[in-house]
Amino acid sequence: MVNQNIEDDILLRVEGLKTYFFQRNAVLKAVDGVSFTVAQGEAVGLVGESGSGKTMTCLSLMRLVPQPGARIVEGEIWFKDENLLDITEHEMRAYRGHRMAIIMQDPQTSLNPVYSIGEQVAEPVRLHLKERGQQAMNRVLDALRAVRIPRPEQRLVQYPHQFSGGMRQRVVAAMGLTTQPELLIADEPTTSLDVTIQAQFLRLIRELQQDSGTSVIWVTHDLGIVAQMCDRVNVMYAGRIVESGRVRQIYKEPQHPYTRALLDSVPLMGARRDKLYQIDGQPPDLRSIPQGCPFWPRCPEAMDKCKEQYPPRTSLGGQDFVHCWLTEEGR
Amino acid sequence: MANRLLEVEGLAKHFRGGGNWLTSGGDAIRAVDGVSFHVEAGETFALVGESGCGKTTVAKMILLLERPTRGSISFQGQDVSGFRGGGLREYKRMVQAVFQDPYSSLNPRMQVLDIIGEPLRVHQGLRGRTLRMRVGELLENVGLNPVTASFFPHQFSGGQRQRIAIARALALRPQLIVLDEPVSGLDVSIRAQILNLLVDLQRDLGLSYLLISHDLAIVEHMSHRVGVMYVGKMVELATRDEFYGNTLHPYSNALLASVPKPDPDIPMGTTIGGEVASPINPPSGCRFHTRCPIYLETSMCREVEPDWREILSEHLTACHKVEPAVV
Repeated sequence: MVNQNIEDDILLRVEGLKTYFFQRNAVLKAVDGVSFTVAQGEAVGLVGESGSGKTMTCLSLMRLVPQPGARIVEGEIWFKDENLLDITEHEMRAYRGHRMAIIMQDPQTSLNPVYSIGEQVAEPVRLHLKERGQQAMNRVLDALRAVRIPRPEQRLVQYPHQFSGGMRQRVVAAMGLTTQPELLIADEPTTSLDVTIQAQFLRLIRELQQDSGTSVIWVTHDLGIVAQMCDRVNVMYAGRIVESGRVRQIYKEPQHPYTRALLDSVPLMGARRDKLYQIDGQPPDLRSIPQGCPFWPRCPEAMDKCKEQYPPRTSLGGQDFVHCWLTEEGR
Repeated sequence: MANRLLEVEGLAKHFRGGGNWLTSGGDAIRAVDGVSFHVEAGETFALVGESGCGKTTVAKMILLLERPTRGSISFQGQDVSGFRGGGLREYKRMVQAVFQDPYSSLNPRMQVLDIIGEPLRVHQGLRGRTLRMRVGELLENVGLNPVTASFFPHQFSGGQRQRIAIARALALRPQLIVLDEPVSGLDVSIRAQILNLLVDLQRDLGLSYLLISHDLAIVEHMSHRVGVMYVGKMVELATRDEFYGNTLHPYSNALLASVPKPDPDIPMGTTIGGEVASPINPPSGCRFHTRCPIYLETSMCREVEPDWREILSEHLTACHKVEPAVV
């Protein structure tokens, strides 16, 4: 599953991405200098709490940031050899829903209630692959079969309200997958699903990924999903990636105090602790991000330096890195 | 037996279902269909299950928000349905609730002082300075600054709101608090804060909790005993250590296997296919047989409803395939 030799087959490279919200008397830095790569066939996790900028990062990749209000102010998004921020909106459409697709959190709102499932799944096929009639129909049926929807021929003509939550999420996944995208962005696609249904969905995505070599970005706050589904993980806090590494490495030896705290604060099955590790304070408020390292007010190991200056990127070998004065000073 | 605070016996709730205003209604929705358990003083009893299993309906009946179709609820040995007047007030004082969504469970137009103070005014007639002092005390108990009493809910984050909801539940010094998914709407770092707070409060105040949750890791962390529900029925009930160490029912096993473990070296377990059956027309026999991995083509599972049996001491389950331990 882990692709060791990733230097030469990078699919997506994000450099210094900044997406800001412009309000009447404030600028909210939702994404504030995010850089990461996704290799071909790799699954990368974006982990963080609300307000950490993980969803806004994904919307920026698709160039779907809410308008008006938000704007990508800086950065580069290289999809293979094209910078998505340099191309026109028209050219962008060739990517969106075709070479890269997104599965959103809520299957309720990502399906149109007045169109049949078949029509909705067929839309990307008609639009991007320019297929019509029987050919398009076959592709839709294949997609519905791929996501294991029973009796797809009959389900095709039904409407979203006739589907259960788990089935609806599969339909949304089918829509994302019909065009066989090179990059699939899954933005908390299982939060509204029951555990057994979630397990089915996770398995499905992993199988599809293995079969077709699709790269996946998993956005989630569930550290269990990251451990099971991802090769690499980027931990986000206040609009920045504070630590990035291979999943095994991060779960064994987290470097950033925030990563460590996140891992210690979730109850683990089979590993009982009397008390959960508690990160005091609130997730960062984008309206008033503290100076220096934004985590310092909640960090048990904060030093004076942390309050003054944002820590530089410290390489941990390979592509792994951390932004923390403790590691930087310690070397 | 003496310390059974709450006892639920054969509890059922059928809603009138289906149909429209022209037809007299379709088949009943059997949301809860014969559930028995008890909550001991000072313990946390967890009800676990997927959506539609009836766990929230059970909670609502205990909170007197729904009237049971069948069965009984007793509190300190007395049948709750017989409570009137003072007895009813006393029951409502002693049983409180904290709900999932702290955004909808607090009135946005009320100051925190009034939100937490309302039960104190109504039940204990507190006014003015005494009321303010008691509210301040409660805010401190849940880790909030007493000055925030004059704030409105929108001035708080989700975690702080949940603290306010907990303070309100504590106001009347209850004995039992129903916690309906108390942390599922909160961020990971805030969850730990609230769970730790709940554990501390239980220890300090000797509270009993009825924890409704779908998160098996949180349940393992919080509870002393666990009951698993599937489509309106209890399928397994055991102490925490028994449940997590010696799971008997195939559905409980499937639930445990479905949780993605936060350790890359533990692969995902084998889970089950299919979806939760509908409570409108629940499957015949064992309700789980349509998804059961160990169900064989015996007519038993399909036709005969399994008995609710004690397999080991304090470990009950309803499954044809589980043999009682030889005593």
